[in-house]
Amino acid sequence: MPYQVLDGLFYTKEHEWARVTGDTAKVGITDYAAKTLNDIVYLTIPSAGQEVKQLGSFGTVESIKAVSELYAPLSGTVTSTNQELTNHPELINESPYEAGWIIELKPSKFEEEKKSLLSPRQYEELLRSLDAEHQD
Amino acid sequence: MKRTPLYDFHRAHGKMVEFAGYEMPIWYTSTVEEHMAVRNRAGIFDVSHMGRVNVTGPDAGRFVESLFPTWLGKQPNGKSVYTLLLNKDAGIVDDLIVLKMDEERYLLVINAASKAKDLKHMEASRGGLDSKMDDITDFTTMIAVQGPSAVEALQPLTPLPLAEMKRFTHSSSTVNGVGAIITRTGYTGEDGFEIILHDTTSRAMAVWEALMNGAAPCALGARDSLRLEAGLPLYGSDMDEATNPLEADLGWVISKDKQSYVGWERLASLMQKGPSKVRRGIIMNERIPRREFKVTDNAGAEIGMVTSGTFSPILKKGIAMGYVKAPSSQLGDAVKVVVRDAPSNGKIVKFPFYDDSLYGWKRKPHQ
Repeated sequence: MPYQVLDGLFYTKEHEWARVTGDTAKVGITDYAAKTLNDIVYLTIPSAGQEVKQLGSFGTVESIKAVSELYAPLSGTVTSTNQELTNHPELINESPYEAGWIIELKPSKFEEEKKSLLSPRQYEELLRSLDAEHQD
Repeated sequence: MKRTPLYDFHRAHGKMVEFAGYEMPIWYTSTVEEHMAVRNRAGIFDVSHMGRVNVTGPDAGRFVESLFPTWLGKQPNGKSVYTLLLNKDAGIVDDLIVLKMDEERYLLVINAASKAKDLKHMEASRGGLDSKMDDITDFTTMIAVQGPSAVEALQPLTPLPLAEMKRFTHSSSTVNGVGAIITRTGYTGEDGFEIILHDTTSRAMAVWEALMNGAAPCALGARDSLRLEAGLPLYGSDMDEATNPLEADLGWVISKDKQSYVGWERLASLMQKGPSKVRRGIIMNERIPRREFKVTDNAGAEIGMVTSGTFSPILKKGIAMGYVKAPSSQLGDAVKVVVRDAPSNGKIVKFPFYDDSLYGWKRKPHQ
């Protein structure tokens, strides 16, 4: 697999991840999403205090060529956003799971909603099926 | 889908997409890296998908003169001319470069996606003139070498003294031992060359690989962001048959003392009243404008539409070209581009978007 998938994270079919620590969750896009978009140059994201809904669009991430919606892995209230990305959106390409996190939120229905998210193994399976589609 | 002679390199190193019927790379490493390589040093592009058509014969000069709004017969041999192919309503059928080899031989470099209709349009306009057109696209390979270090990147491979060549001229020579036409043209805003190799074999691939000693491989993504940052329109996106040269801000290609080419009567009347919309640049304070986004004046009244938009790696801002109402819209006007329901602030600016004393072919030499 040419794309990194980390253990211990929850994934969406739309290629976002959530890392739940205590009662907060950091959210970002996966290595696959970052590599597919290529150069990330611009983000539109909510500010702290805003509510997001599971699988609702909470912003956009843009490359030179394209715009891509961001979908929230979990419902909740945004507690902070990654300020580094304002001047260095390329952090998402360089480090999609660490320095390139996008928002942090306080999940409101984690126990219920986690059932509809993908495990690392399930997400790898999804990537394999996408990869197969793109073979000649 | 068609493949260029350099396909194996693209497949091994690039992310592939379909473009005008060809399998082409959209990027190798990253569009921003490739873009900056061309602005700061040199990059190479496979442009073999572009159409190359020889127009030859005793009447070749009269034939091309009857097609284009720019004088070609008066040009010296060895001149490369950017011009437009028009229909009788002065709509733009294509934009192209015409290489004048001599009075009876011209080489046209046209857009890949327009090739079939261009050939049909030109043949229909030929009348009884003794001239023929030969599509040599599949028998040649075309590589663009672009950037401030283009001379240094190409010179080791050719005996032609490149520094002495003027922009928009061409010459026959060899590159890495392969027969070639070298023209000092390109579509990135930078100085550079386009090489038409009379070869499609591994010898063409060897030229590409030898050029990599002095230039970075660059793909379609960077080609698009570079031409947009330079303010150069892309046929099919920024102009089409419903657009005339005055609207497209390409009135400079029209030789004012020339008549009797396809579309000139209509153009003459258009020039009297001036265009009602015109292609302009818009630089944004925030957000990235994209194709088909609406442009409004500061009060919110619609004045136009974006035809190409991207993020400028040099300016680190969103930039667009599009059409705005004329003559009411002026350079420097504050406007808004509606980005997914959010009216976002921008300003009408001249092309190119970058400071041309720092970037592009007019830049001052480094100290």
